[in-house]
Amino acid sequence: MISEAFIPAVSSLGAVALTLGVIIHYVSKKFHVEEDPMVTIVNDILPGVNCGACGYPSCGQFAEVLVDTKDSSMTCPVGGSDLAAKLGETLGITMAEPKPQIAVLLCQGDNDTAKETAEYLGIQDCWAATQAFVGPKQCRYSCVGLGSCIAYCDFNAMSLENGLVVIDKDLCTGCEACISACPTGVLVMQEKKAERYFIACNSHDKGAATKKACEAGCIACQKCVKVCEDNAIVIENFLARIVQEKCTACGKCIDVCPTKVNCIRLENDLKAVKQKKAS
Amino acid sequence: MKTFKIGGVHPPENKLTEHIAIEVMPVPAELAISLNQHLGKPAKPLVKMGDEVRKGQLIGQADGFISANVHASTSGKVKAVKPHPHPGGQYAMTVFITPDGKDEWAEGMNTEPVDWKKFSREEIIQKIKDAGIVGMGGAGFPTNVKLSPPPDKSIDTIILNGAECEPFLTADHRLMVEYPKEVIAGLDIIASLFRGEAKSFIGIESNKQDAIDTLKKHAAASGIEVVSLKTKYPQGAEKQLINAITGRTIEEGELPFDKGCLVQNIGTAVAIYEAVCMNKPLIERVLTVSGMEIGQRKNIMARVGTTFKDLIAFCDNMSAKTNQIISGGPMMGKAIFSLDVPVVKTTSGILFLNNTALEKSKERTCIRCGKCVDVCPQGLGPWLLANVAQMREFDDIQLYGLANCTECGSCTFVCPSKRELVHWIKYAKALVNNRQKRKSA
Repeated sequence: MISEAFIPAVSSLGAVALTLGVIIHYVSKKFHVEEDPMVTIVNDILPGVNCGACGYPSCGQFAEVLVDTKDSSMTCPVGGSDLAAKLGETLGITMAEPKPQIAVLLCQGDNDTAKETAEYLGIQDCWAATQAFVGPKQCRYSCVGLGSCIAYCDFNAMSLENGLVVIDKDLCTGCEACISACPTGVLVMQEKKAERYFIACNSHDKGAATKKACEAGCIACQKCVKVCEDNAIVIENFLARIVQEKCTACGKCIDVCPTKVNCIRLENDLKAVKQKKAS
Repeated sequence: MKTFKIGGVHPPENKLTEHIAIEVMPVPAELAISLNQHLGKPAKPLVKMGDEVRKGQLIGQADGFISANVHASTSGKVKAVKPHPHPGGQYAMTVFITPDGKDEWAEGMNTEPVDWKKFSREEIIQKIKDAGIVGMGGAGFPTNVKLSPPPDKSIDTIILNGAECEPFLTADHRLMVEYPKEVIAGLDIIASLFRGEAKSFIGIESNKQDAIDTLKKHAAASGIEVVSLKTKYPQGAEKQLINAITGRTIEEGELPFDKGCLVQNIGTAVAIYEAVCMNKPLIERVLTVSGMEIGQRKNIMARVGTTFKDLIAFCDNMSAKTNQIISGGPMMGKAIFSLDVPVVKTTSGILFLNNTALEKSKERTCIRCGKCVDVCPQGLGPWLLANVAQMREFDDIQLYGLANCTECGSCTFVCPSKRELVHWIKYAKALVNNRQKRKSA
């Protein structure tokens, strides 16, 4: 009969299950690790993207250390001030206000302004291209324009437009994942501000060489240095740099910049600057 | 006939210039002498704009242990010192010289040949170092460093590499046929550094029978064995050549001297002879100008610093169909991006090709046929390395033998899916390097 066939199978499996159940129960009691429930709560508040911007490999690790040390200087750059307030409330401490950072591309050499070296037919990736030669653009400091960094962005903040990487300032959380993915080092982190001027060029070549390779390059002419009333612009190694702490965003430097496509850029408002030059 | 044990391919040989004698090219109107013609740190410039230089004068001082001297290839005036395109694909500091037409040697250079036997071991190595000699096969490793292995390693085999397995190139072939005495003398000088304890070989591929015959005739007296090797690529790669002649295998992480071997190129041997016996620095080299699209194919003795533009004019111009210019051989050479790039000490040839297979993103997916595994002379799985690189999984890629790849190009040559296997491997090496740099920073 069927039942006769079932009885030994069910009873033997049942016995095995029961024995194992008892063992598991015993082991879990014996080796129980007391976990702070706070870690789970904090972990749930965190963005959970494991981007590593805080310096820890994952959000879980960050939560563990934060709950353990209650160090108020620890910040999650991705979450911003909202998250800091929430974390502080949960833990009963005042968290430091994180300085929001944003990835900035120091290059304006798109397919129109930068001169091409040669037709590149190999693997369409910045690292592969720079292994073969200087890159599709003559300027060796430029954005290679094949978008290796885009794949590393967890927040879909990057896209490729006319041979240049464009960063969406609202989506960028400042996690720095793209910085190490760039072979020419043309991507840098800067503090996020409502209005901010910066030199969108990375070329350390002498003026003539820069101009030969790109119409939007800084030729280190010193005009912006002379006009700046705050002494916020310095020239280092044939490249101007705006010292953000001194800059009052008066915009005088933009008017004097002689390069065809202005190498000084106002964040938030690139298009307006370009139009101004054309008219 | 001897050959290496695993892998290898046999691309069309295309040795179109093998019977054309070496032609000496006149000094062009301007020379662009790169200060980065070797592995290691670029040389430090010793001249500035407006300086007068004599032929053979030191213009770039070796900077560090692995670096090499650079000399002026003719007499004239320094026009500029600035970054300039380099055949390696990057920019390098370059000294521009406007020749004065006198071509005057600096004091004490290019003397009548003297007997090298009167020099001590240290003197010979110093002379080689002063002359700025680097491996002329392509990598450009400073020769004086290669000739001074650590004292605990004993060298019992010296091999002169006359395989010249790259298609098209015939520069070493012509040197062996036209300058056999200098080649043998160069090898004797190298052998003397190891107190004659080492056995000397010259490995030559079987498609250069005239070179084998010539050298056999000249080598008979000095106990050098001329070995005929099977015509198979990459017979002239250092590790493969050692395997073919001695049967030893250089494992990952080992250098030839770990297995008692030392390999030098034919051109390097001639340069060593000239440096030691004639006090002549490395300022010119033989190179092959070939390919289907150049007016006249030639073997040329050209000054270091001659631009490709001048070479093209000397060889009766290239045709309008040229779509790829390669510095070096077709298997390992690099496509250049500017005609302004100069000849450097490691430029073994320039090829002008009409490559009909060129198109953007011609790569297809790997079909796992295993052809690349069959031909890899290092016993690697190129498909695996490339696929892992393409997926950006760099954590374990070293375990698959990434560092062991010599980038010979055999796998890319046979791939039926037209995958850029070597390029992916180079890409992986660059990114692994970048990771390590960031980790240690």
